[in-house]
Amino acid sequence: MAGKSGRTINNVPVNPLKKIIFSWEGILILVVILINLFCARFSEFYNASSLLRQMPVYLAEVFLMLPMAFILVMGEIDISVGSIACLSATMAVIVSNAGAPFILVILTALAVGAACGAVNGFILTRFPELPPMIVTLATQIIFRGIAEIVLGSGGSVQAANQAGFKALTANLSIGGTINERGRKVGALNFPLVLFLVVIFAVIFAIILGKSVFGRRVYAIGTNRLTAFYSGIQVQKIRFVIYTTMGFMAGLCALFLLSVSYGANTTTGQGFEMDAIAMAVFGGISSTGGKGNLAGGIISAFIIVCLRVGLGQKNVHAQVILLILGALLIVAVALPNIIGEIRKAARVRK
Amino acid sequence: MKKKSLFKRITGSREFLLAIIVVVMFAIVSFVSPSFFTFKSVTDMLKNNAVAMVMALGMLCVMLVGGIDISITSTLALSGMAVGMLLKYNFIHNTFLCFVIAIVIGTVCGFLVGLVISRAAVPPIIATMGFMYIFRALGYLISNGGEWAGAAALGNFKNFATTKLLGMSLVIWVIIVCYVFFFFFMKWTRTGRKIYAVGSNAEAAEVSGINVKNIKLLVHTIMGLLAGLAGALQVSVYASAMPDMQQGGEMDVIAACVIGGVSMSGGRGTVIGTLFGAIIMAMIPKALPLLRIDALWQNMIKGVLILVVVVVNVVLQRIADRNALKGREM
Repeated sequence: MAGKSGRTINNVPVNPLKKIIFSWEGILILVVILINLFCARFSEFYNASSLLRQMPVYLAEVFLMLPMAFILVMGEIDISVGSIACLSATMAVIVSNAGAPFILVILTALAVGAACGAVNGFILTRFPELPPMIVTLATQIIFRGIAEIVLGSGGSVQAANQAGFKALTANLSIGGTINERGRKVGALNFPLVLFLVVIFAVIFAIILGKSVFGRRVYAIGTNRLTAFYSGIQVQKIRFVIYTTMGFMAGLCALFLLSVSYGANTTTGQGFEMDAIAMAVFGGISSTGGKGNLAGGIISAFIIVCLRVGLGQKNVHAQVILLILGALLIVAVALPNIIGEIRKAARVRK
Repeated sequence: MKKKSLFKRITGSREFLLAIIVVVMFAIVSFVSPSFFTFKSVTDMLKNNAVAMVMALGMLCVMLVGGIDISITSTLALSGMAVGMLLKYNFIHNTFLCFVIAIVIGTVCGFLVGLVISRAAVPPIIATMGFMYIFRALGYLISNGGEWAGAAALGNFKNFATTKLLGMSLVIWVIIVCYVFFFFFMKWTRTGRKIYAVGSNAEAAEVSGINVKNIKLLVHTIMGLLAGLAGALQVSVYASAMPDMQQGGEMDVIAACVIGGVSMSGGRGTVIGTLFGAIIMAMIPKALPLLRIDALWQNMIKGVLILVVVVVNVVLQRIADRNALKGREM
């Protein structure tokens, strides 16, 4: 059976348990356990409830990783998402400050995001010869440029009415006991954003892994010309995916606002790289056609746990980035090096 | 038939088109504000953009083999910060030695990047993204967690940018030497031609006896060398070293190359084109205030310019392809 992830094409049936353990996802689950053990030893504050409490700050980026996985599977890249998040956060705060009801604020953020994504998609499908890297580089500068113009010389805007944004940080308490003084203790507060991330992750994973649409995305990533001649509407699919990417960037912007209540010219800077790093570390090849979202989601949680754990002991963000960078390179280089060594060994035989 | 060949020659020579754009831009800005077209103003403009102009040459080499390098400004920060800290804590005083140290650090960084890309077959964007984080963090770590090296700490080193030779700042001379060297290197040396060969068709290059892996290693090492040099230039031009300098500047360098006609898929691009691309990128922030356009519009205009250039390029290419087909039909 051809591997679901497209990683192996093998006719010999393998032991399913062995397959899970030795797959990239299996290794990643092992890394999750190791990271959590490490964080628990490293920081005395690290436990389930503190993890859940500090997670939301980092979870917003996972929204970007999900559609980014689709784009990477197609063999393309979108480096404009951080700027889209900046622009839609700016617009949302401005609409909110104009006194609009919160539902309108949500719609603005999502609509601005989707519109920016559609601009990317339109240019890329109208001129398919253009490399996505260059187009999204230009739109990255343009979207942030528009946000800079809207923000004016001050360069930042604060939400006057924070009630709506606060509602986004709502928690759902599960478990725990009520002590003698009537206070609830030991409850795990699951943040709303975690539920949303999980729901979206499941939806995106099913679409990519099981649906016809997802299989077509893999086909485009493996060989675009063959996909086109097999009757797949390549440009239509690309347009849909880039628009979704923008929409999710808008969603990410909303949850950024629920933490910071404001936007400035550097909101979301570097998010595109974080999203790509999560996906690639999860085994999604940037050359297209390989990887699945299960890996991406697990790796996203590895990075979130690492950030929470190291952040608790005031390790500087740059050191965390150093570790992330090293992990990323090793994760991509290691399979290639092992493959080379195996090939060399086979030749010697 | 004669008309077609003329048309083809104009669309074919990108440098000619770029030169016209640069001249027109110069003319418009000088017309509105005569103070722009003075020797001092132009050399100041070049001096302030020396970093991007020097790194654009390395990016040209990297993009010629079909790669990309987004770690360059992190390399710049690391090498610049190293020089800044060495000067601040009085380890060295010699300006020349500072440059050597910055260049060596940059070369080592570039060599590492090249090693990972060429030997472990990691896609360039992923590898350089990882190193972007790593080098930036290292630059931060050697700065003792965010210290600056201000003008007072830099001593004689900052005078490098203000010293003049034959009426021009030494920084301008560095740019000129780099561009002249690379012009000859890319056009008339064996290694330069090998870079083009790998970019046009890596497999054909491999079959004809070029070590593709070594060429890839070489271009990233060159890129690192220039980024290290740019680190020293940055510190001396702005008379300060801080760990977050030029963050995000790699996109400007890539943009300069793209405007200069360097193809993202490799094999196409010239030193002259890169020079014009870098000049255009340098002119935008300088010209906008003179044209009384708010500086807030700067990024927007930059982005639109990149988009327009690449789209026009595609449209011209389509017209050229259609004309070629027409010729065959007849």
